[in-house]
Amino acid sequence: MIQRRALHKLLFISALALTAPVHALEAPKERVVLTVSGKIGVKNAGETARFDMKMLEALPQHSFTTRTPWYDRPVKFTGPLLADVLAAVKASGTTVSAVAINDYAIKIPVADTTAHKVIVARLLDDKPMPVRDKGPLFVVYPFDDSATLRSSVYYERSIWQLKALDIQ
Amino acid sequence: MAGRPSLSTNLSRWQWRHWLVVIGTLLVVTLAPLGWIQWQQAKLLNDASDNQVDSLMWQAYQLERELSRLEQKIAQAQRDPSTIDPFELQSRYEVFLSRVKLLSDVPRSDLLESSGTLAQSAEAIRLLSEFADPMFAEPEKLLASPEQLRALDERVLVLLPGLHELTREANRANARFLDERNAQLRKQGVLVISLAAVQAVAMLVFVGLLVVHIRRQARRYVELKTLSEELAVARDQAEAANHGKTIFLANMSHEIRTPFQGLMGMLALLDEPNLSGRQRDYLQTARDSAVHLLGVLNDILDVSTMESGTLKLSVTPVPLHHVVQEVDDLMQVTARDKGLTLQIEADNDLPEWVLADATRVRQILYNLINNAIKFTPEGSVSARISRGAPGQPSVLMTVSDTGVGMDKETVQNLFTRFYQADNSLRRRIGGAGLGLEISRNLARMMGGDIQVRSELGAGSVFSVTLDLAETAAPQALQSTPMGLGQTCRLRVLVAEDHPINLKYMNILLEKMGHEAVFCENGQEALQLLASQPFDVVLLDYHMPVLDGLATAEAIRQLPGSAGQIPVIMVTADVVNDTRKRAQEVGVTAFASKPLQSEDLRRALRQCGLQELGPVAAPPAPAVAITPEPAKPAAPLRPRDEVIDDASYDEVCDMMPGASMHEMLDTLFAPPEGTVPQLLAALASGDRADIHYKAHTLKGTAMLLGFRALAKTSARIEALSTDSEGPRLPAELSAQLIRDMEATQQALCETAEPPVS
Repeated sequence: MIQRRALHKLLFISALALTAPVHALEAPKERVVLTVSGKIGVKNAGETARFDMKMLEALPQHSFTTRTPWYDRPVKFTGPLLADVLAAVKASGTTVSAVAINDYAIKIPVADTTAHKVIVARLLDDKPMPVRDKGPLFVVYPFDDSATLRSSVYYERSIWQLKALDIQ
Repeated sequence: MAGRPSLSTNLSRWQWRHWLVVIGTLLVVTLAPLGWIQWQQAKLLNDASDNQVDSLMWQAYQLERELSRLEQKIAQAQRDPSTIDPFELQSRYEVFLSRVKLLSDVPRSDLLESSGTLAQSAEAIRLLSEFADPMFAEPEKLLASPEQLRALDERVLVLLPGLHELTREANRANARFLDERNAQLRKQGVLVISLAAVQAVAMLVFVGLLVVHIRRQARRYVELKTLSEELAVARDQAEAANHGKTIFLANMSHEIRTPFQGLMGMLALLDEPNLSGRQRDYLQTARDSAVHLLGVLNDILDVSTMESGTLKLSVTPVPLHHVVQEVDDLMQVTARDKGLTLQIEADNDLPEWVLADATRVRQILYNLINNAIKFTPEGSVSARISRGAPGQPSVLMTVSDTGVGMDKETVQNLFTRFYQADNSLRRRIGGAGLGLEISRNLARMMGGDIQVRSELGAGSVFSVTLDLAETAAPQALQSTPMGLGQTCRLRVLVAEDHPINLKYMNILLEKMGHEAVFCENGQEALQLLASQPFDVVLLDYHMPVLDGLATAEAIRQLPGSAGQIPVIMVTADVVNDTRKRAQEVGVTAFASKPLQSEDLRRALRQCGLQELGPVAAPPAPAVAITPEPAKPAAPLRPRDEVIDDASYDEVCDMMPGASMHEMLDTLFAPPEGTVPQLLAALASGDRADIHYKAHTLKGTAMLLGFRALAKTSARIEALSTDSEGPRLPAELSAQLIRDMEATQQALCETAEPPVS
């Protein structure tokens, strides 16, 4: 049996940092949905960077429709690229440890964020996701793009009920 | 194994299509199920991997765990509400609820549903959510109300054992799932093994069949090889035997021809005007028999040379009309004798001169006309020589008769060796049955063929096509056309070492009205030519000192007119090579041994020398030959082994007495006599010399009927043939001397008057 829900660390590569928008991160105004810690260059709450849903919405949004093992039909996911989120905090590590609300944790190589269009989905079929339906945030790979993605390695890395990223 | 042979026999008849079908079917039968199994297994693995993502047990455990964590939070909230974030409490509840859906969405949740535990738990959870949803809608309020928290805690605690049971049930379901899959895999494994076994058995069967097949083929191959080797050996033996036979025939014919010359010659000389009618009749019969025998001999020789592949056409410019005329002359007599009309026509548009072997063209025409006359009891025989149709060989010769004709079967077998139309006629008509075969072979060698049309009782038509190239008349002959003879009485130089032949030729030439000068070898001939004028030279092929070929070559080297003199080669040698070589060195014409007047006339004509028309009266030969007149028949005596009196007497009858003595001297008188010469050669041990002299002696001795001498000389000749053989036994000389003495003794007795 395979572990799926645990989130810890994040790492960033400098190339990503260069392309990221260069402005100071403002403080969240609403309830915090994502906390980023570890090797980051931009912080807004002590040693961490915190995001509310509005801040994530403000980042460039991407959508794709894909089949998944968790739904019996293709569904549409919408949200910012994980790469953009990492860029927003100027992350500089190689591994991202992602943690879910239920403390499930999984390590995502930063290379994945450049090789694939990995998004931090906040909308499922254009609707916000409640916690009881894998919300509020769901890291999703575009599984239909490549056969290599349709394996347990990437299914494990697709963490739902995401609450924190730790860059290592 | 009983059924195996027939099976493999059938197998050997199979073609590649059959094999393809069988092997293809076998592959489909065994590989299709294997493929299906592989596909099933792949599907199973895929299913397993999909199911792994959210397996039953994991989801059940997570559900139970999340409920415990929720319960812990609620318990904590009851004890110390200030340490709890209301939204975190709400989150815990929401996460727990998200787990319910995940569990029910697991692909193989059916495994769990069968027990009913899942349905019970789902119902309990649904009741809990109905109760708790309104409370968690406002988490701050919930946190502030201990009653609500307590009530909630109780509900949650009641639910826990059920979910615990669900986890255990999921574990059992998981085990069942694994069992199910393992059973499937086992079943497939068994199936795979069975199919592999079937495949292996089928393969073994095929390998077995193939091995049997290959062994049979190998055996057959060995048998065939052995057979073909045996056949090759048999063929070689047959060819060797055939070749041996051919050589034997050629040798025999050669051996027969030499004495035959004497026979023919003597018969010709017998033809004196003062013979009685009866004697003339006997003579004619003897001559006819001899001519016939010569014909058969020539046929056999032709066939054997054709078989040995040495027969070559000697192609020269030939006046076609003239050849036809010759055949006409020759055959008219035969036809007239039989009371038949013979008409031979040559079309006017025939080419004047063609490149051909005249002898062979004549032979074909002669054969066909002769056959037609043979098989025509009454009526006529006609021959026509014309130009061939366009696109066909250039000359067409048609011989038709009003004879007995032939049925279909006869026509079919006509050209087969020794086959004769109507076997009942065979004795009456005679012949070796080789004529048609020879004629057809000759026609084919000349680029044509022979066709025959015949109907029983209505005669036959033979058509010969010959591809003979037209040519211009030779220069030399244009200037001296035929018919303009140069001299009536020719001065002939004859080089001939054989005493009897020499004698005969002298008489023959005198009868023909020519003047003959004799010499014994080529060297002498050259000397005579250099000192005296001659019209023509007759050269014997085999001569001592300088043989015929070398002499002819030397003559052509002579200066002035002597070098241009026509040379006629007289030879018993029928091998074509000899003639070809002779032509190359400048021999003008050939005459074959035994030399007949007709042959000599033809040879002279070929040299452009017109001989006298009617033969001048020959000088009367001396009547007295021996002191005693010839005896009608010599009685049998003990000396029979030494001398054949009949033969000897015949020769004596023909020879003038002085000539006979001379000739006997050439045999016995030392040192130049043939016998002393041979004795000297034997003493010296020179095999070539011995061979030549023994051969000469043999010829003379045979002709004169000296049996003992002939036998011994033949033996010496045979022994000396091989130059590498063992030493000739010394007793040969002694034997020779004894034979000579016995012969001389016998001759003395002959000379004495018989005691009556």
